Amino acid sequence: MSETSGGWKKRDSTRDGVFMDYFAGIDIGTAFSKAVIVSDGETVSQCVIPSKGIYKNLADEVAAKALAQAGLSMNAIDYVVATGHGAGNVSFADETVTDISCQANAISRIFPSVRTLVDIGDMTTKAVRVDDKGKSVGFVLSGKCAGGSARILQIVARVLRVDLENIGELSMRSKKRIDFNTGCAVFAETEAVSRVAEGASKEDLLAGLHRALASQILSLMERAGIEEDCALSGGGAKDAGLVMSLQEKLGMEILVPEEPQNLAALGAALIAQEKAALKTKI
Amino acid sequence: MQGPEKLYFAGIDIGSTITKAVILGEDSLVSAVEYTAPEQRKLANKLMEEALRKASLSLDQITYVIATGYGRINVPFADKQITEISCHARGLAHLLPTAKTVIDIGGQDCKGIKLKNGRFDAFVMNDKCAAGTGRFLEVIAEGLGLEVDKLGELSLASENPVKISNMCTVFAEQEVVSRLAEGAKLEDLAAGIHQAVAGRICSMVAKLKIERDVAVTGGGAKNVGLVKALESKLGFAVLIPPDPLITGALGAALLGRETVEKAHKKGETLVRNKRRLEEARFYA
Repeated sequence: MSETSGGWKKRDSTRDGVFMDYFAGIDIGTAFSKAVIVSDGETVSQCVIPSKGIYKNLADEVAAKALAQAGLSMNAIDYVVATGHGAGNVSFADETVTDISCQANAISRIFPSVRTLVDIGDMTTKAVRVDDKGKSVGFVLSGKCAGGSARILQIVARVLRVDLENIGELSMRSKKRIDFNTGCAVFAETEAVSRVAEGASKEDLLAGLHRALASQILSLMERAGIEEDCALSGGGAKDAGLVMSLQEKLGMEILVPEEPQNLAALGAALIAQEKAALKTKI
Repeated sequence: MQGPEKLYFAGIDIGSTITKAVILGEDSLVSAVEYTAPEQRKLANKLMEEALRKASLSLDQITYVIATGYGRINVPFADKQITEISCHARGLAHLLPTAKTVIDIGGQDCKGIKLKNGRFDAFVMNDKCAAGTGRFLEVIAEGLGLEVDKLGELSLASENPVKISNMCTVFAEQEVVSRLAEGAKLEDLAAGIHQAVAGRICSMVAKLKIERDVAVTGGGAKNVGLVKALESKLGFAVLIPPDPLITGALGAALLGRETVEKAHKKGETLVRNKRRLEEARFYA
């Protein structure tokens, strides 16, 4: 019993004195691992850690962090859904669900009008068509190419010696964008180094970088078919410079959820809640 | 007795990673040099000076200078620029007359060239993506903490190549580093990455109809591991010229000789540039 006491402490007694049920979504990505805990469809806690080391440990670590934040113990969680590249390594998961299904579910909760969702991840960018029930009705994946994923942002940010969090703001300050001659992350790295040596500003190079990535993302979206509204998720969606560049290319507004990087984990947690409800009915 | 003035022809091939220069007499090669340095493209003039010194000639004694390669534009001492595809085809036809298909593996690109009667007939090229180029091997070697020159030889010792699933250079590097951490042998990783590069190259060149003989040139031809992997993918042996790096520069010099011969035959005066042995400008 003592193991669950952490959970009890936090349980909401104001709701007709009924103990709350908690559900967790764990998304083990190639660059970051995320955990979201929900209760009654609302986020109770969420956290992100870098995916360094082996997947199994990451799952334990990110879950422990989210639980601690919520003041819960694992026993308080009724159902756990794992997703992402390392979903199979989440030993405490009740089920695994594809990240496309998770993201489609979550985005339709946040923005019910979204029909096209683009997830800009570390290794892959995905353009997902979403129906009015929050189900994925088709998707196109980028090839595993660093030039078409968020990885190129990390690579160029590193050679420009700027923090990834700051590149969006810097890029939007550019007065004269410097376009890249390449879409390849390896060649872009070399090009950035040469341009810096020639005196190019970081702001202008980042604007060029965002433009290059936005072009690749747009062509992926076109292959999937673009239907309004459009939304962005994944780590890449945290980059305001990229979002702006893509909006320009697309010629329409793009919706971005508050925590775009955690969207798959949130969806996993919401699906966990649905699954648990189904099981209870049976 | 003083004979008529001898004719000399120079070809300079400015690649992404290595610059090569060749000086050709009327019937023999008199000088061939190459230069690898971060500033190699700008310093083409220094390399030309070296080639001239080796041949005991001055720039004025060179009848015609042709620049080729990725950096051929703005070479202030060249009389003419010709694409590397044409120069490569010409050089190869001279070196290996039986070759019908050429695979040129450069530092930042890879080309497949079909030859017909000693001239280029068709080509395919990848310069958009580092995979399948010399850069891929450089990045992987760095990730494994090895020199790229060692990678080829090392791979020959492999008995159990590790299959590399990522095509992208960035992700393949990550993959080999994790495999290494999991205990994979260096030679097995080296063999695996050569197979990956060979696969990528072959599927590109296969867009042309691959006809024998197949020759391999460029820096990639000096990598024994890559050549072996290419041969196993193709299912037959390939030909490699004795100095695979200078094919393009030699072809440029040969095309220079033909230009001069043609002009002489027609009794036309040869148009030459006002040559300046100065740095090539690129980002002007």
